[in-house]
Amino acid sequence: MTYIEHINSLLRARLAVAQDTVVFGQNIVAGSCLSGLTRGIRVPEGSQILQTQNSENTLTGIGLGMMLRGVSSIYFLKQLDFLLLGMDHLVNSYNIVRRLHAGSSFTLFAIVVDQGYEGPQSCLNNLDDFCSMAHIPGYVISSGWDAEVVLNRHLFAPGLKIICVSQRLFGTALPSWSEPVETDGAGEIFRYAQGEDVTIVSCNFSFPQALQTWRYWQERGLTASLFSVSGASTSDWSMILQDLQRTRKLLVLDDSKSDNRSSDRFLLAVRESALADRVLVQRRRFAPEWLKPNPDLLEVVPAELFQQLQ
Amino acid sequence: MVAEENKVAWRLAERVVHNRIAQMMINERIKQRAFKVPVHLAMGHEAIAVAVAESMLPDDALCLTHRNIHYNLARADSLRAEIDELSLLPSGLAGGWLGSMNMANPRRGIPYTSSILGNSLSVAAGISLADRLRGAASVTVVVTGDGAMEEGAFFETLQFMKSCSLSSLVIVENNTWSLATRIAERRCPIDLDKLAAAFAISYRHLQGNDVGDYYRQVQAARQEAIAQRTPVLLEVQLTTLGSWLQPTPEFPEGKFINYHHGAAPKVALQEWPVLEQDAGDPLFVLAQQWDEAALRDLAETVSQRLAEEVS
Repeated sequence: MTYIEHINSLLRARLAVAQDTVVFGQNIVAGSCLSGLTRGIRVPEGSQILQTQNSENTLTGIGLGMMLRGVSSIYFLKQLDFLLLGMDHLVNSYNIVRRLHAGSSFTLFAIVVDQGYEGPQSCLNNLDDFCSMAHIPGYVISSGWDAEVVLNRHLFAPGLKIICVSQRLFGTALPSWSEPVETDGAGEIFRYAQGEDVTIVSCNFSFPQALQTWRYWQERGLTASLFSVSGASTSDWSMILQDLQRTRKLLVLDDSKSDNRSSDRFLLAVRESALADRVLVQRRRFAPEWLKPNPDLLEVVPAELFQQLQ
Repeated sequence: MVAEENKVAWRLAERVVHNRIAQMMINERIKQRAFKVPVHLAMGHEAIAVAVAESMLPDDALCLTHRNIHYNLARADSLRAEIDELSLLPSGLAGGWLGSMNMANPRRGIPYTSSILGNSLSVAAGISLADRLRGAASVTVVVTGDGAMEEGAFFETLQFMKSCSLSSLVIVENNTWSLATRIAERRCPIDLDKLAAAFAISYRHLQGNDVGDYYRQVQAARQEAIAQRTPVLLEVQLTTLGSWLQPTPEFPEGKFINYHHGAAPKVALQEWPVLEQDAGDPLFVLAQQWDEAALRDLAETVSQRLAEEVS
């Protein structure tokens, strides 16, 4: 099963029993149904699926208006950057609605167009920035386990939030993982493995690179803990810090193009804790290449990182 | 029947007078710098505000803009609560949380007010969609202006409301000004009649500040919105009163300053609160329709009542 088939399957199951909910967006029940994300969705009587016009600003405001009336909704967007047009509502309108929403939920469910070669536009992957400006939670789905927890815990949770999936991962097979995965109390951090030598932390959509590195090191006798941070505005890092207390070596991967990354906040917490003797960080740096079609990828070479860590 | 109509008409007149005097009392407080929040008075807008407020049924919703004082006064139970809100007191009608430009009063049918141009339009569409989903036979009224209708949200919202058959009234208060620029200084004319026709939406043009006429037109528009499950666009031609001439070295005779917000320095609280001797002033229009002595008595009664309320 591919990444997107898994997420679509989970979505269909949850929407099929979603009471008094409006599911809306452009092309959500037409064409490829957002590359398969919303294919085959159904809602029970009393809920509604709305195929909408191309008006991201207004559609964002409409979701907030429904919140004021206690009606929950999910707005699917083909691209995260489309949400820039709704930013004013996320910040200004929600500042009023958040005090009055009375338990209803509004979820912005966006695809991050990170598969590369989009050119200077359309390739925004800065969930961190949206969440920071609007003071709202956001979650990325990087793997099958993340998907189950994020959709179970956050899809219909009260309040406004953003959930993002990665277009780059759509056609990829879900990695097989037999070990139990632990989750923090907020459903924002996932521990896939516990090792003795180093702690690997992936943020945004860099879990595949983190997993690749973990496996490479595992084959060479280095046992590593492996974490995926799903939350874009996570503030409680204790689950990872406890692990770091044992390994005292840290590798952080973050493919976000933001200058306001969740990994920045994590690294500040690490520094304040003084728990790490060695820290390696792999992140994006703004470069002129971003302004032309390019692979748009955080490149990680596990062998080089292995050397640096010794 | 005639007596009943007269009773309604007199109540509408009373509400217009009440609205004006209440604003004048707030203006006096602004002059005394009683508020930290920026207040946008709407003297000259009372007729449409009263017509809308009196036409609303309990399940209807009204979404407003930064210039909302006339509608809030028309719907509020007390001037005290309004002044307390402007003073950010817990006894304010929103508990002191919203202040001036976001003043809303869900208990009296005003769930949302935005200080951002065009924002209340789409939120209103969401409210209307939710109400329809819940089976409510209600209308969502959203007020905007000739400046905010320049935002893309105006066109997007009309499109959505029509596409989803939402019973709604979109009211454009056209005072021709956006802050310090007239329409002709900032954009081409926009024929809202033709724009509405492009969306197959009914359009009504209201002018003359006759509160009775406005009341009938808003009621008819409301009926149409319910019966046809459609938005209706109402453009109201009006004048924001309170402008003044400011002498400057370049303009010794006085430069025209359009009233936008804050105090209207040349407006004073007076027994007979008419500000302009033309149809730009809804109170002048009332004076053409009613016995002036009766109106003056009414104004005195309203003034005393409001003064007691806020004393």
